[in-house]
Amino acid sequence: MSMPPRSRTGSGPLVAGLIIVIVVAVVVSVLAAAGITPERAWNSFFPVGGATPATDRGVATRSLYNIVFFIGATIFVIVEVMIVFTVFRYRRKPGDETLPAQTHGNNLVEVIWTAIPTAIVLFLFVLSWQTLNTVEAKAVSDVHVRAVAARFQWRFDYLDANGATIFSQALPVGPDGGLTLPVGEPVTVTLKSEDVIHAFYVPKFLFKRDAVPGRDNTFSFTVEEPGTYRGQCAELCGAYHGSMVFEVHALPKADFETWLKTQVDKANATPAPLPSGAAGPTVELTAKNVAYTANTLEAPANTAFTIHFVNADAGVPHNVEIKDSAGKSAFKGEIITGQAETTYAVPALAAGTYTFACTVHPNMTGTLTVQ
Amino acid sequence: MATTTLNPAAPAYRSGLYSWLTTTDHKKIGIMYLVNSIVFFVAGGSLAMVVRLELAQPGMQFVSEAFYNQAFTMHASFMLFLFVIPILAGFGNYVVPLMIGAPDMAFPRINALSFWLLPLGGLLMASGFLVSGGAAASGWTEYPPLSGAQFSGTGTDLWIMGLTLIGTSSILGAINFLVTIFKMRAPGVTLFRMPIMVWTVLVTSVLVLMATPVLTSALIMLFIDRNYGGHFFDPANGGNPVLYQNVFWFYSHPAVYIMILPAMGIISEILPVFSRKPLFGYKAFIFATVCIGALGFSVWAHHMFTTGAVFLPFFSLMTFLIAVPTGVKMFNWIATMWRGKLSFDTPLLYAVGFLTMFLIGGINGAFSAAVPVDFAIHDTYWVVAHIHYVLFGGSVFAIFGGIYYWFPKMTGRMLNETLGKVQFVIMFVGFNLTFFPMHQLGLAGMPRRIADYSASAGWSELNLVATIGGFVIAASLLPFFWNVLISLRNGKIAGDDPWGGNTLEWATTSPPPAYNFDHLPEIRSERPVFDARYGRTAGH
Amino acid sequence: MTADADATAPIPAHALTIHTEAIDGHGSGGVGTPVLGMLLFIVSEVMFFAGLFAAYFTLRAGYTEVVNGTIQHVWPPTQYADLLNPFTLRTESGALNVILPATIILVISSFTCQMGVWAIRRDDHKGFVRSIAVTVVLGATFLLLQAFDYSVLMSEGLTMGSTTFGTTYFTLTGFHGAHVFGGVLMLSVVLYRGMAGQFTSKHYDMVEATSLYWHFVDIVWIFLFSILYLAPLLGRGA
Repeated sequence: MSMPPRSRTGSGPLVAGLIIVIVVAVVVSVLAAAGITPERAWNSFFPVGGATPATDRGVATRSLYNIVFFIGATIFVIVEVMIVFTVFRYRRKPGDETLPAQTHGNNLVEVIWTAIPTAIVLFLFVLSWQTLNTVEAKAVSDVHVRAVAARFQWRFDYLDANGATIFSQALPVGPDGGLTLPVGEPVTVTLKSEDVIHAFYVPKFLFKRDAVPGRDNTFSFTVEEPGTYRGQCAELCGAYHGSMVFEVHALPKADFETWLKTQVDKANATPAPLPSGAAGPTVELTAKNVAYTANTLEAPANTAFTIHFVNADAGVPHNVEIKDSAGKSAFKGEIITGQAETTYAVPALAAGTYTFACTVHPNMTGTLTVQ
Repeated sequence: MATTTLNPAAPAYRSGLYSWLTTTDHKKIGIMYLVNSIVFFVAGGSLAMVVRLELAQPGMQFVSEAFYNQAFTMHASFMLFLFVIPILAGFGNYVVPLMIGAPDMAFPRINALSFWLLPLGGLLMASGFLVSGGAAASGWTEYPPLSGAQFSGTGTDLWIMGLTLIGTSSILGAINFLVTIFKMRAPGVTLFRMPIMVWTVLVTSVLVLMATPVLTSALIMLFIDRNYGGHFFDPANGGNPVLYQNVFWFYSHPAVYIMILPAMGIISEILPVFSRKPLFGYKAFIFATVCIGALGFSVWAHHMFTTGAVFLPFFSLMTFLIAVPTGVKMFNWIATMWRGKLSFDTPLLYAVGFLTMFLIGGINGAFSAAVPVDFAIHDTYWVVAHIHYVLFGGSVFAIFGGIYYWFPKMTGRMLNETLGKVQFVIMFVGFNLTFFPMHQLGLAGMPRRIADYSASAGWSELNLVATIGGFVIAASLLPFFWNVLISLRNGKIAGDDPWGGNTLEWATTSPPPAYNFDHLPEIRSERPVFDARYGRTAGH
Repeated sequence: MTADADATAPIPAHALTIHTEAIDGHGSGGVGTPVLGMLLFIVSEVMFFAGLFAAYFTLRAGYTEVVNGTIQHVWPPTQYADLLNPFTLRTESGALNVILPATIILVISSFTCQMGVWAIRRDDHKGFVRSIAVTVVLGATFLLLQAFDYSVLMSEGLTMGSTTFGTTYFTLTGFHGAHVFGGVLMLSVVLYRGMAGQFTSKHYDMVEATSLYWHFVDIVWIFLFSILYLAPLLGRGA
């Protein structure tokens, strides 16, 4: 029967190989030009760029990752090499119409390449189960925090031994905010959600756990290194899921205890009297759906003025913070939880362009023109 | 007796629109499945471009956060439910009756119904974009409470209804495949002489039959919670959000095997033909396929390791074990090529692309089986890398391989080889450029499903690279569509058997007549056409 | 076989004789094609109900109430505890409790349906039509009694939103009722076609398939009745 001419196979794989080599060369050059050293490239194959995990359990997870990675990488190299070799070695010579040996199979080989992978995965399973026991172990700890997730921010309630809240941190980020913890002490966190499913995720801890409404998830860990660690919600919770960030501040134990005592004292102190009477002109601003309803505001220069702030988001904390063009904070209003309104007495500002933003939700921003 | 003069070469499909709309011919229905699926592939791909455009740089440049969530939700919904699953069903529809020597499927009218439910269900889902509140936006997984009435609008109801129709289409198709395979094999086609493609469709159909109805129950419960005051998943009234996840994943994990097994079947047809050797370990293949199908029902909660509500060691063990039959297949495929005589036509290029890329997807999946590692990488871009390596590097490459392999049979014309190779190279490069950096992004801590990220996170460069890769993938479709257009008009005439095939579809004309076969060759193995071509004694 | 065979050559006789066993689905012996199709469909329906039952058992296991000041696991919820007792002929407010008669009627209808199948197998057309007609009537009666029962329960305060008990109860029984309705439609078609003489002892696949479906619907009801109505009688807190 007539068949269209078949591919002239002889040089096909060589052309393909050439193309692949060119592409790889381009990629490597681009990476090098972008400042990616081989060491950085290698580290990118490991959690958080190869950095040491910040918790004891994170270190255990990293060790497990290393083993899985090396086994996986070895299998990858061996099998890919086999495929590439086969593809080059057994290409049909042009014009060769004879059949190769029609091997149907080999039972021994089947047994071997079933048994060896089974042994490998069982080994990995046992190893990962052991690590899991380490990671999931509940610690006896004096520091107990309830992390409450809601759309779209985190709140951290510090609990005493009876589970009562002694201090509530409504600011998820910043030097005045975040989840402050002691270094070297076991910490227990209980996750709660007030609405949809969220997840508490700190990449440097190599750990995340879901916050499921109707369910308390509790876990423990010990932070080994002081520092600030980024965290973020890792379960889709709505439009501003990507903004639901938080920070973990790990302080040496003594500093932590001082910090906690200061916060508790502040929380118990009688609040300062509100400034009496509205000073100067009033600027209206509303926060709704985790956004300001106005992106641009105007205020007179060198005159104290008032912001009448309406928080229309039920259950969501907002405020207004004004920063000058250098990023220095010129005014920070008290955080209120909607639905509520308040008046902020803003001191006189020099003429210029400022930005205003919500301290809880950094994605809520606008421009304030003072003239 | 009277003799009639029948033209054995069936005419090209120039019959009118009406005949296509009312056909019950499995071949036409199969082609309609392919066309409908490609339409949704383009729609889903466009939505992916919206996602990649927005993520290329920090800051929201193009769309709102709310629309972004609709974009990735509908991208995945289109790709999984309206592209990958149906196009493989479409290949099965076209090829299975031919491969077993049957004149059609067991229930041709139900076959037509199965097809038409797809554009209907797809339109219902897509119509979410037109209603207030937009399309479904809680991820293709649609977990409550986020997908509940308090937080999601009508688009979610339309998504539920559309998906219920699509699920019905799948289930009816599965019944059809199973009855066809069990009852309509030609004499000589015993179960252990069926092509592997038919075996994978068989096992896939069992999975569809038993898993998809569980999805239907989850969708109905969600619909009742949303619209009839139900409390299935409402924790304030005794309901349990994790219940949804369990019922949902009981389907959705077997679903990924529904998406890969027929693709593996396609690879198992292409490799022997283009290596000129039989598939190595035919029975081992069948055994591995059945094992994957069975084990696939026991791993679902590995999607839920971080909920705190799962018995972790069991699901970790089963997830590790399912790597074994998958690995066995990989070795058998390589052994098929080993000591063969490979001819590098486009179908083989895609098959080799499948092997090299699916391997990566399989290996990076093993990381998630190790539960503590999953605690680190779950819901990050590592998972996005994994799913795309197995679904794109795996299923989509196999699908394109199948298109190039069977287009001659379906249309009577060859696709242009040069354009095919150009498409493969561009697609292969673009695919890796897009999805390989996602391993790094996930390890660096970038979560999934976020519309935006901070410039200080350090994720900007890799996101830009991934977006460029996305454009390259999109570009690779241009030679493909051009190829299809020009080949339909002017492609080389294919004849019955342009590739030197092994299986029965190559024993009839291209395209086949309505009743498929004038006569069948003797069937004594899984390669009847090969046997007929070389005589049974040729190295058999 | 070659593609370039002369297109105008007469087709050989053996190719003109089409053996229809493959199309009829009776060639390979064993179960006929329509019946196999129905059995597979029933498998899918079993899995659908399995999902609903999984939800029922999960929510039941997690249901707690405050009883005498402590949180306890009870089921059904206290306020609905006696509503579903099938053996009390009247509810507290005096309405008729028809679920037990309805159950008996549905079980009988399975017998009459099977009698219809046996009748057509021996070509007893009159007996066949009679049995199927009775089955249709019994099936429709079950639906009417079920609807009445719903109205009684709702007037007693049990609705879809009455804790997870109400949600699961109405979902499970509601979808079962929908399946009964589908079955009654199928039986009506069988009755119509039977009265038109379309079935014989050699050709009654649809009757067989429909009866299998009807038996499935009945078996699901027996499970539902046992789990929703009988099991709670064994002791609350199960």
